[in-house]
Amino acid sequence: MGGTELFVGDVVTNLLDYPATLLFDGIDNHGRTVVSAPDLDALLRRVAQHDSAAFAELYDATRSRVYGMVCRVLRDRGYSEETTQDVYLQVWRTAESYDPASGSALAWLLTLAHRRAVDRVRAEQAASQRDSRYGAANVERDTDNVTDAVISGEDRQRVAACLNNLTDVQRECIELAYYQGMTYVQVSERLSANLATVKSRMRDGLRGLRNCLGVR
Amino acid sequence: MTHTYGDHAGDLLELAAPYALHAVSESERFDIERRLATAGLPVADAFYDEVRAVRETMAVVSAASAEEPPADLRARLLSSIADDNVRTLPAATRSGGRWRTAVLSAAAAVTVGMTAFGVGLALRPAAPPPQSTAQQVFSASDVHTVSGAIPAGGTATVVFSRDRNAGVLVMNDVPPPAPGTVYQMWLVSDSGASLAGTMDAEAVAPSTTAVLENLGQSTKLAFTVEPASGSTQPTGQLIAELPLT
Repeated sequence: MGGTELFVGDVVTNLLDYPATLLFDGIDNHGRTVVSAPDLDALLRRVAQHDSAAFAELYDATRSRVYGMVCRVLRDRGYSEETTQDVYLQVWRTAESYDPASGSALAWLLTLAHRRAVDRVRAEQAASQRDSRYGAANVERDTDNVTDAVISGEDRQRVAACLNNLTDVQRECIELAYYQGMTYVQVSERLSANLATVKSRMRDGLRGLRNCLGVR
Repeated sequence: MTHTYGDHAGDLLELAAPYALHAVSESERFDIERRLATAGLPVADAFYDEVRAVRETMAVVSAASAEEPPADLRARLLSSIADDNVRTLPAATRSGGRWRTAVLSAAAAVTVGMTAFGVGLALRPAAPPPQSTAQQVFSASDVHTVSGAIPAGGTATVVFSRDRNAGVLVMNDVPPPAPGTVYQMWLVSDSGASLAGTMDAEAVAPSTTAVLENLGQSTKLAFTVEPASGSTQPTGQLIAELPLT
């Protein structure tokens, strides 16, 4: 009855209110210790000191996020593997340029990875305009390969729920820009929408996501 | 290709989301960063705050697309870093005073790291013993270092000596030029630009060094994108320049 509904509602609210910094905290469903977000900062500082054990730990804690995002952008496993390797080599070489004051270690890493993935997809598109590999088709993710080593099912569901809260046009703009490597000008051409509309859909969609995910 | 964008702060802030998603062209990105450098602190702060928030948000979103990479990638990666001693200097942020500070600290970093650096330095062309141009530059009493982030990504550093009339350029993690184009470097003085080198995709990645002979009266080193055949004078898009002062 009423009591049950209230209870369910509380659980949902609590999940959505999870601060982003708790994403990695604690023990996952299989009883494995999960790396906490502040630890990524410490690992990155050790990587900057040429600590290869810290580098291996950092890789294990973040590889599925990096590779998965790169795959979404490049839609080619060979390219994605090469790009992921390039990304982590760059991490090894540039870890000392990470400044904790300017954001989290995870955001620094994924920004670097996204930059490389976008550069690669644009270079490949320029090199082979006729190549059907980079047509409009979306390659489905290989869900058998999904990892649960460091990311809990709850985290995935929470993000999926927040993505679902966006309007279709907001989600489409973010998808085309972030995952297909289009510039906002290309997005506006693709959608036959004017530039101001595309920019505001991106901004509003991202703000909606941010609020829903509790990112500060 | 020259674009003109509005100069209102509101227009600039509207670009924070596309900028944070890497959804602007290279030329527009360069333009945005140039405008931010002169926009004043409140606007630049608001812009970079939004960029930071978007990037934190997308970092959280990455949980939804997570996918395990091939298992053998780990071993390959660990072996590739095992003997990798290339260090990229902290990239300079291109906003107001922070740019200068970052360049100065990068210059300090390269000076400190120079001994380690010199050992593996692959210089082209191979210099005859006893002293290479690079060694002469590094040991000069008036050695200077300038460094900066290339807008397209990566860092360029020049160690130079006016006494020796030469310099050494080090480029790290600069993305390769688009197919059909090359990067060309120019020593620019009041009397014009002279070609200092050409780099194709192979020469760029991931770390490149080149000797700059005959600095002359040059005041800066400029980088342009040129057709694959190369140009005798800069004709293409200017992507970066380093003041040789």
